[in-house]
Amino acid sequence: MKYAFFPGCVAKQTCPELYHSTKKVAQALNIDLVELENAACSGAGVVSQQNEALSDALNARTFAMAEKQALPIMTICSTCQGAFCRANKRLRQEPYRDKINGYLSGNGKNEGGYKGTTKIKHFLWALVEDLGIEELKKRVKRPLRNLKVASFYGCHLLRPSDALGFDNPDNPTSLEKVIDALGAEPVDYDGRTRCCGFPILLENENASMAMVSKHTLEAKEKGSDCMVTPCPLCHLNLDVQQPNAEKIARQKIGLPVLHLPQLVGLALGFSEHEMGLHKHIVPTGRVVEKAIGS
Amino acid sequence: MAEHTTFKVFRYNPETDSKPYFQSYQVPLQGGKTVLDGLNEIKGQQDGTLTYRMSCRSAICGSCGMVVNGHSKLVCRLQIAEVLKNFDEVVIEPMRNFEVIRDLVVNMDRFWDKMDKVTPWLVADEENVPATERLQSPADFNVIRDASSCIMCGVCLSDCTSLEVDSNFLGPAALAKAFRMAADSRSVDREERLLELSKEGGVWDCARCYECVQVCPKYVAPMETIMKLREMTLKADLVDNRGTRHVEHFTELVLDSGILDERRLPMKTVGLTDLKGMLHMAPTGLRMMLKGKMPLIHPHIKDVDELQRIAHKVEESK
Amino acid sequence: MRVHDVVVVGSGLAGMEAALRASQDGELDVAIVSKVFPTRSHSGAAQGGIACAIGNQDPEDNWEVHMFDTVKGGDYLVDQDAAELMCKKAPEIIYELEHMGLVFNRLPDGRMAQRSFGGHSKPRACFAADWTGHAILHTLFEIVLKRKVKVYSEWYVTSLIVRDHTCHGVVAYDIMRGALEVFKARAVIFCTGGYGRAYKITSNAHANTGDGLSIAYRAGIPLEDMEFVQFHPTGLYGSGILLTEGARGEGAYLLNNDGERFMKKYAPERMELGPRDIVARAEQQEIDEGRGINGKTCVNVDIRHLGKERIMERLPQVRDLAWDFLGLDCFSECIPIQPTAHYSMGGIPVNLDCECVIDDKGTKIDGFYAAGECSCVSVHGANRLGTNSLLEACAMGAIAGTSAAKYAKSAPDLSLPDDADVEAKREIDWLLNARGSVKIADLGDELQRTMMDDCGVFRTEAQLKRQYDVVKNLQQRFQSIGLSDRSKTFNTELLGALELSHLLDFAEVIVLGALNRTESRGGHSRKDHPKRDDANWLKHTLAYKDVDGPRFAYKPVTITRFQPQERKY
Repeated sequence: MKYAFFPGCVAKQTCPELYHSTKKVAQALNIDLVELENAACSGAGVVSQQNEALSDALNARTFAMAEKQALPIMTICSTCQGAFCRANKRLRQEPYRDKINGYLSGNGKNEGGYKGTTKIKHFLWALVEDLGIEELKKRVKRPLRNLKVASFYGCHLLRPSDALGFDNPDNPTSLEKVIDALGAEPVDYDGRTRCCGFPILLENENASMAMVSKHTLEAKEKGSDCMVTPCPLCHLNLDVQQPNAEKIARQKIGLPVLHLPQLVGLALGFSEHEMGLHKHIVPTGRVVEKAIGS
Repeated sequence: MAEHTTFKVFRYNPETDSKPYFQSYQVPLQGGKTVLDGLNEIKGQQDGTLTYRMSCRSAICGSCGMVVNGHSKLVCRLQIAEVLKNFDEVVIEPMRNFEVIRDLVVNMDRFWDKMDKVTPWLVADEENVPATERLQSPADFNVIRDASSCIMCGVCLSDCTSLEVDSNFLGPAALAKAFRMAADSRSVDREERLLELSKEGGVWDCARCYECVQVCPKYVAPMETIMKLREMTLKADLVDNRGTRHVEHFTELVLDSGILDERRLPMKTVGLTDLKGMLHMAPTGLRMMLKGKMPLIHPHIKDVDELQRIAHKVEESK
Repeated sequence: MRVHDVVVVGSGLAGMEAALRASQDGELDVAIVSKVFPTRSHSGAAQGGIACAIGNQDPEDNWEVHMFDTVKGGDYLVDQDAAELMCKKAPEIIYELEHMGLVFNRLPDGRMAQRSFGGHSKPRACFAADWTGHAILHTLFEIVLKRKVKVYSEWYVTSLIVRDHTCHGVVAYDIMRGALEVFKARAVIFCTGGYGRAYKITSNAHANTGDGLSIAYRAGIPLEDMEFVQFHPTGLYGSGILLTEGARGEGAYLLNNDGERFMKKYAPERMELGPRDIVARAEQQEIDEGRGINGKTCVNVDIRHLGKERIMERLPQVRDLAWDFLGLDCFSECIPIQPTAHYSMGGIPVNLDCECVIDDKGTKIDGFYAAGECSCVSVHGANRLGTNSLLEACAMGAIAGTSAAKYAKSAPDLSLPDDADVEAKREIDWLLNARGSVKIADLGDELQRTMMDDCGVFRTEAQLKRQYDVVKNLQQRFQSIGLSDRSKTFNTELLGALELSHLLDFAEVIVLGALNRTESRGGHSRKDHPKRDDANWLKHTLAYKDVDGPRFAYKPVTITRFQPQERKY
C-alpha cells in the first residue's frame, strides 16, 4: 500500500499530534506514505466561495503531482477529502478540466496538466478498503476492550454523497467497523453524522458551541468514553473549543476526542505519548486507562 | 426477504397523548412500493388514525417530508427496498426543527415566516415594462433554473444543522429563494438583497454541512446557492464582516505560503481593531500554545511563486 | 363566521389568478380557501408547457390557428366563442406571468422558447424545462405573498350556500382545529380542480377528488359533459404518474412489443404528436390486441435517441421519475407507460365571464363563478389539447377574478340563511360517529378499479350498465362505513370519507352520461358506437341532481368560425 500523502494544513500546525500519529501508524501497518511536500492547501471549500476556478486549479495541481507518480492520494482530514472530491468531480468533465489545465501550464511546471485519473482516499477509507477490516484486526496487539467510542465523521467526508461516494450518508458504517476491529465498542447516536460547528466558529460562536455541546453531551449520555474523528477541524471544535462550549452550555462535558490514527495506534500498541494524546485540551487519561491501563 | 416490513412510526395526538411514542406496524412488502404506499396501506387497512400529509405522490407537491431513519425525505419517492438496503426497519418521524401538530404532521409556519423575510418575489424594473417579454439569455436562465425547482417541502430545514441551534438562521430554502431572485438577470435590487442577506441569520451563518444538498429532492442544492450568494457579495465588495474577511484572508494566506496560516487567519477574520474580539480568543490561544499547538514558525511549500502565477492567470482570464 | 367580499376556493393556477385579479385594485377583501397549502396544488404537477400563439418559434402562428387546433382537438364539442376568447387572451397572460418573474426556457435571442405538443399544428408551448406548472404555481404564489392575499390553507370547503339562485358563501372545515365555519361572501369562485382519483391509474394527486364538482351538484347546479374524461397517453406503468407529453414534443417514440412505432397506423401524419384521445386509444388497442410489452398492460416510450444533454436540459423530471418509480435509466432504457386518467373536460357550466349558468337559457347563479379544470366553459370540448389546461386555468381564472370583483362591488349585502351550515354539521357529525364495518379504503379501491375497467378509454353499453350498478352499490355501502378517528386535530380519515362521498356522487354522473351518449367523440369512445354522431350528439350534456339520481338535459354547442368536419391527424 503506497499513497501520495496529503496531510493538510491543520496536521502541520494546530494538530501536530495528528501528523505524527499518522506517520507512526502508517509505518506500523506497512503503509508507504510519500508526502506531497509541495502541494497547496485544499482550499477547504472556502477559497471556492471567492473563486472556484482558482480553488480547482490549485487542487488540480496537487492531483497532477500524484498522477505523475501513479499514486492515489491519501488525506487525513474530512474537510480536505471533501474539497478534493468535489473538485475532482468537476475536473472529470473534459472541457472544464482543459480550461483549468490552461491556468496550470507555463513556466515549465505542470506540463501536461491533470488528466483526471487520480484517486483520492481518506485514511479511513484506506483502512477499510485497501488494508481491510480483517487484516486490521490481525494487526491489533492491544484490543481496546471496555472502551466505548462515539464516531464523529465530519460532514465533508459524507456529503454530498455523489462526490464522496464511500459511506452511505444516512447510515455510514466505516468508522464503526474500524472501532469494532480495534476491539472497542461503537456507540450509536444521532450526532455522528452532523456538523461540529467549526466553519461558523468566528461568525456565529454561540451556534457553533451549541453544536459542540449537543453532540458531545449526546455521545456522553449514550455511555461513550471518547469520540473519534477523521477530521482535525472537527477535532479543533470538539476538543480545543470544548471548554468554551461548556461555558455556553453551563455544564461540564469532559469528553476526550481522539484523531482516528490515535485510536488505531493505541490498539497497535503505541503509547499515549507516542500518539500525542498529551497535546489535547480535554484530558485523555481516563480513556487511556480504560483502554489499555488494566 | 421477509414478507413484511416493520414500520416504526412516531405517534402523538395532543388531544389524548401526554407524550409522543412509537407504534410498530407490519406492512406487506411488494416490489416497487414506496414508503408513502406503506403509510397508505397502514392507514387504509390497519389504523385510520395515523396522520400525515401527502398529495401528488410524484415528488412535486412537497407535502410528504418526513424523517426516515434519521434523515429527511419525501416519502413518496422513497422506495421501501431502498431503505432496507441500510436498515432493518423503516423508522418514520415528523420533520425536525418544526413543531409537531399530530403524528407526522408539523406546523409549517416557520418555513413560510422565513420565506417571507427574504422578499420572495422578483423585483424588476416596473417603470419600463416591455409590451412583450423581458429578454433573458439562455445562460442567464440557467443561473436560476435549478434554484427555481424548489418545491418548498421543508426537508432542508428539517436537516439544517445551523437552524437546529440557531432559530434566527434564515435556513436553506429561504436563502435559495433569495438567490433565485438576486441572481435573476431581470432583478434590479441585487445589492439591497445582498446587504440584507449579510446580516445576522443570513448567508454567513451557514455551517456548510451539506445536509440540505444531500436531502433536497429536487435540483436546488440550497447550500450551493448560499455559497453563490457569498461569492456575489464578495464580488460586489459590499460588506466587510467576519464572513467576508474570513474568505478573503483565507485565499490570501493560502497564496502567501501554500499552507493556511492558522494563527493569522482568526486574527484577520476578527479584525485587529476589534479588541474585544481579540481578547475573547486569547484564552483559547493560550491553551493551545501551552499544549504545543501553535508552531512558532509558519511552514510554507517550496513553489509558492507558482501558486501566485496560477492565481494571476485565473484572474487574467476573467 | 368569517366575512370576505370574494372567496376563492382552491389555490392552483386558476384560484391564484382569480384571487390576484379580484384583489388587484385593493378595493375588495379577497380570501383563498384551500384544502392544501397553495404550493401543494396539483397545477404544480403540470409538466410540458403552456400554449400561447406568440409565434416566437414559428412566426406563422397566431390565435386563430391556435383556436382551430383547439376546436379540432376537442372534436368540435368546443364552444368556439370561449376558445376564441382564450386563444386571444393567451399572450397577455403569458407576458404578465413573465413580468411577474416566471422562469422560462429561452431562445438564443432571449425571447421565450416554444416546443411542439400533441394536436397543436405549431410549436407554441412556452415552458420551463418539464416543470412548467410548478414554475407558474410558485410565481403566482410569490405574488399572492407580495399582495398579502389572505389564504386559509388546509381548510376544506364542505358546501356552497345557494338560495334562490344566489350564492351567499361557503361552509368550510378547518382541518387543523376541526372546526366548521361559515364564510359569508358576495362572490364565490370555485377553482377546485379535477377528479382523477375516481380512477385507479391516474396522474392526479391524492387530493384530486373533485369535491368542488359534487359540492356544486349538491347545491342544485348541473354538471356539464362529465362523460368526457381525458386519459393521458404517458402515465408511468403501474402508478399512472405523469410523464410529460413534452417528451413526445421533443421527439420521443412510442413502441409496442414488436418495437414498432405503432402511431403510424393511427395518426400517420402527426404520429406520436397526435392528440391525447387518439394516442391513448392507440395504446389501449395495442395492449388489448396483445402487443403490450411482454404481455403486460403497457407500451414503451423511448427517448434514448434524444441524448443525455437534451434530456437533462428539457426533460430532467422524466429522468428522475423513471429512476425513482421504476428504477429505469432513461438514457439507456425504454420507459413502460400506459394511459392514465388525467383531466376532466366537463365540470361546472359557466359562460364567457365565468359566471355559473345552469341551463340553455342562460339562467345564472348570482355570485357564483368557476374556472379551471372544475369548470366547463368548454374550451376543450370532448378532448383537451396538452398545454391548453395551464392556459385555461390562468386565462379563465383571471377572467373569473375580474368578473367576480365587478359583481361583488355592486352586489347587495344579503343576510345569510339561518340554516347555512346545518347540512355540513350533520354530515360531519354523522361521519365522526360512523361505526359500521365497511372500510373507506376498500370502497375507494373498488370504485377506482371498476371505473378503470368499465368506464375507461373504451366503453360499451354492457360495461357502463355494470358500472352503474357498482356505483349504486358502493353508494349504498357507504352508509355502513366505520371511521376510527374521532379527533378534532388534523383528522385526515374524516377528510378521506368526505372526499369519497363526493367521488361516489359524481361517478354516477360520469357513468350515466357515458351510457346516454351513444356516439364516440374525443375522450368518450364507445366500442358499440364507434362513430361521431353530429346529427344527434353535437350538444353538451347537463346533469342535474334529483331524488333518484341525475336528471339529464342537453344544450347546443356554440359554433362560430369552424364547421365540424372529419378529424384526421
